[in-house]
Amino acid sequence: MTLTRTTRRTFLTSTAAMAAAGLFPGGVGMLRAQEGRVLNLRLEGDNSILDPGYMVGGTEVEAQKQCLPFLAEYVRDGDTFSWQPTAYVTRLEYVDDTHIEFELAEGLVWSGGHGTLKASDVAYSYKRMKDSEWSGYFDALETVEVTGERTGTLVLNKPFAPFIMVTLCHGPGAIVCEAATEAAGGRFTTEFPAICGPYTYSATPGQRAVFERNPEWTGPAPGFDRVVCHVITEVQAAELAYEAGEIDCTELGPDSLARYSKQMPENTTITTAGQLQYMWMGMNTQHPKLQDIKVRQAIQHAVDVDSILAGAFAGTSTKSHGIVCPGLLGARSQTSYSYDPAKARALLDEAGVSGLELTLRTLNWQERLLTAQIIQANLAAVGITVNILPMESGPFWEMGMEEAGDTWQDLELWIMRYATVPDPYESTQWFVSEQVGIWNWERWTDPEFDRLYDEGLSETDEAKREEIYLRMQQIMEDTGAYVWINHEPEVYAHKTDIEVVAAPSGELNYHRFKPL
Amino acid sequence: MLNYLLKRLGLAALVVMAVLLLLFSMLHMIPGNPAILALGTRATPEAIAAYSERMHLDEPVLTQFIFFLGNAVQGDLGNDVFSNRPVTAVIGERIGFTLALICTGMGWAVLLGVPLGCLAAVRPGTWIDRITGVFSVGMIAVPSFLVSIWALLLFSLHLRWLPAIGAGEPGDLSDQLSHLILPAFAIGLGWVGYLARMVRASMLEVMGEPYIRSARAFGLKPRRIVLGYALRVAILPTITLIGMGFGGLISSAVFAEIIFSRPGVGKMIFDAVSDRNFPIVQGGVLVATGFYILVVLFSDLLIAWLDPRVRASL
Repeated sequence: MTLTRTTRRTFLTSTAAMAAAGLFPGGVGMLRAQEGRVLNLRLEGDNSILDPGYMVGGTEVEAQKQCLPFLAEYVRDGDTFSWQPTAYVTRLEYVDDTHIEFELAEGLVWSGGHGTLKASDVAYSYKRMKDSEWSGYFDALETVEVTGERTGTLVLNKPFAPFIMVTLCHGPGAIVCEAATEAAGGRFTTEFPAICGPYTYSATPGQRAVFERNPEWTGPAPGFDRVVCHVITEVQAAELAYEAGEIDCTELGPDSLARYSKQMPENTTITTAGQLQYMWMGMNTQHPKLQDIKVRQAIQHAVDVDSILAGAFAGTSTKSHGIVCPGLLGARSQTSYSYDPAKARALLDEAGVSGLELTLRTLNWQERLLTAQIIQANLAAVGITVNILPMESGPFWEMGMEEAGDTWQDLELWIMRYATVPDPYESTQWFVSEQVGIWNWERWTDPEFDRLYDEGLSETDEAKREEIYLRMQQIMEDTGAYVWINHEPEVYAHKTDIEVVAAPSGELNYHRFKPL
Repeated sequence: MLNYLLKRLGLAALVVMAVLLLLFSMLHMIPGNPAILALGTRATPEAIAAYSERMHLDEPVLTQFIFFLGNAVQGDLGNDVFSNRPVTAVIGERIGFTLALICTGMGWAVLLGVPLGCLAAVRPGTWIDRITGVFSVGMIAVPSFLVSIWALLLFSLHLRWLPAIGAGEPGDLSDQLSHLILPAFAIGLGWVGYLARMVRASMLEVMGEPYIRSARAFGLKPRRIVLGYALRVAILPTITLIGMGFGGLISSAVFAEIIFSRPGVGKMIFDAVSDRNFPIVQGGVLVATGFYILVVLFSDLLIAWLDPRVRASL
């Protein structure tokens, strides 16, 4: 090897050139002109599967709402949620308990020359969903009868009151283009085979998804010309980006919500999408230490939920009185037990229990651990020693499942949170008898509860439905196996000159955003 | 030299295999059903079964490992569990951002750290040496994730001089550069200190060598003695350190990519671990390990090229 100055220089020059080339993976080009009103938002992660039948959920639903037709959409009426027909239909109504007729709007076209939106697309989409990974949402659907080019009837196999709210308004209710989807092989992932909506869609993985006005869209114009959704995985990073003025709207965690409530950043306001999450402390009714209902009732009376809301959630969440979330039919406003340490001690004495030691399992998240510590202190005050067992999500989510091992036998106390949809039936389904050993980790059964669950599905009278769900929650509470904790809200901070529209479960609907 | 190169390449292949085997074992030791974790707690049994079959989770770990290696040799790292896109394509979209970040971070650290080390070495015991020493140790002591957060709070939130998130508008050079400054500053800062200390120590040793005294006796200018003679020898251990440093920067890049929401291989692996997206984790680690091994190999070859004593010993 000959060492010469020229060679080294050449080497250094080449290295510098390669480094410079690697520096700008996107290449060098001209900045694209950004005309019109641009909305900058956060995207939790890349949209991996846009296909409604095989999606992961979450942000993919947000993309579907901008680019695919839906028959119904959520509408907020004060603190409650209901539905309304979308701009894609001129008629959507129940004609009887099992028939929903629809008429599609005229002149809505699919991109790529795939023609107009037809009733046959609706039939194709929903038949396809019945065979998909999201088929559970379509259990109640028997078939879609096409009665004309733009008209049809959704035929249910039994009366199912929440069908429109739960299925048609949500992601699984998206309609795909039959011709384009079949041409794409029957399934799609990161690109829509055809769109029919206010926005077009493009994405740069790991960076952003961009929605731009669809020139072929003849429906109501969206409020913004361009929506840029930046991939920001961590909610805290998104909050910083919002405060730096780089995004116009972001979800807030409990700590930030408390901080914002005390000192709102300039030109900022808060919108609460919904509170469709319910957290409770569960007790295994079959565990030898907790078999006596008096012990369980003592624990119910010993936990100071108000302290948990203040200490672990900075007062940003709503106190829970059951599994039906605020704003939904059947939401309760009180419980039959209250924080009363003296009564708790008396119940323990009646049960003849002293020196009780229990294990409380929880996910190792900050708010959950704080909640566990407050419960630990509360129970210590009545003579119950609690050992907290923080867990990773993997073992946590299968600890009550019989098929996943024997941990369910050792379960004593745990802190659990479920998310739900804007109808009470979804929350109750996890506690029927057949769910024991699956998701009913409290392991109680009640024939009345099971019967009421079936009745609630088919009952269309709202007053009767409400009675059903109130009674079901009372049955749950009477087992003594639940200490209701809270409903955490989905909260967004955004600029005051923007009106934000979000589904009750938190998905943003960009085309309904309005500049103020 | 050729034998040396072949031996090192063979060793590199063994290291890659060992890392992958370790990774496979660790991934499968994590408690919890990966199918439930990936698909969500309410996934249907059919979806869980389909996922397990697609991911070969029903096979023994060794079989999965052999299956992966066989495909990897043919350039097939599998498909993303969710989007079903080839892992090579997913990595290809992100590797450039990580390389840009690492090279810029190390680049500015070298440009500042080496002169600082030289300056401290030619003025030993003076206030320049002391100040350089204090700053160097300070820079080494502060972890890069903390620098990232401070830099973001100061330059993006309060001063609003630089962008807080992302990698810039595709195709816009100045925008991409402005998005690179803070993360590169954050991951490179510690290395300024490392390099300054390393160069100072090496230079002090070399400056005492007889041939430096001879150069001085011949009346050569101090600048030429330092840059032309002393630094040329003193820089050799620093090159090794820089090579090793690229490995450390991959770890630092993970934090920077998360904090600045910047696309890159580090963040991709982090997200994939959370989602139990095994093909992405395996492919990402394979690429990161391969990159690290190549950089270390390159630095060793560079030293051999620059130092006749090393070359002669091969």
